[in-house]
Amino acid sequence: MNILVVTYLVYLAISIALTVWVAQTLFKNGRVFLVDAFHGNEPLADSVNHLLVVGFYLINLGYVSLALELGYDVNTTRESIEALARKVGLVLLVLGGMHFFNLLIFSRMRRRSVIANAQPPIGPDQYTVTREPETCAS
Amino acid sequence: MRQLTVLYDPECGLCRRVREWLIAQPKYVELLFVAVNSSEAIFRYPMLNHALTRRDVTVIADDGGVYWGAKAWLMCLWALRQYREWSFRLSSPELLPTARRVVSMISQNRYRLEGVGRVFLRNSG
Repeated sequence: MNILVVTYLVYLAISIALTVWVAQTLFKNGRVFLVDAFHGNEPLADSVNHLLVVGFYLINLGYVSLALELGYDVNTTRESIEALARKVGLVLLVLGGMHFFNLLIFSRMRRRSVIANAQPPIGPDQYTVTREPETCAS
Repeated sequence: MRQLTVLYDPECGLCRRVREWLIAQPKYVELLFVAVNSSEAIFRYPMLNHALTRRDVTVIADDGGVYWGAKAWLMCLWALRQYREWSFRLSSPELLPTARRVVSMISQNRYRLEGVGRVFLRNSG
């Protein structure tokens, strides 16, 4: 096994481990947001959470595999580590971007539910007596 | 708060069109439309100054809270699913004075503004 193949394998191991870690973090901590956004409807929140994490895995693993190819030869350990650092750095940036995008989705969903339950932004100018027409007839 | 009563002027074309538009919008809170100074309005709100309601649109909540003019418009926006966010934006201290000015200008000229309503709200309700 030459040094290039080892570089590839190490790259795959690090990238996949990072993706799994970020996805798990999102899955565990995003649930609370979603349960709140869906008014405590836990099955729906779990379902949406799962679907979001699947999308997250697909996009990130897709990027990891597309970015695998180095395009040049690696002969020394130093070159190998440098190539690895560049590749893993890019994967981290993509993961970070995706992570913030997911947070944005979570907060949007939550915001919508907060607005649906919000009280009026202003108080009344005065109070008056009210009568319902039905109560008068009886 | 489950229902808001809107006292509107049925003699003004702009008000009628706005009412049609409001009726067609999806809502969080039901809107009930009652003509200003009508026997129904006087029956429902015996203690209200009905001469004042002719001047500007009035909204009355089911808890008896009365909202005049710009506040009444904000309450209508607040009742709508698609525009509740706007009621918060427009009620901020920066924008509320402007909202008041615009609303009072519209109310004072409402019989002349009928044509404007026809253009903007043509495809609704």
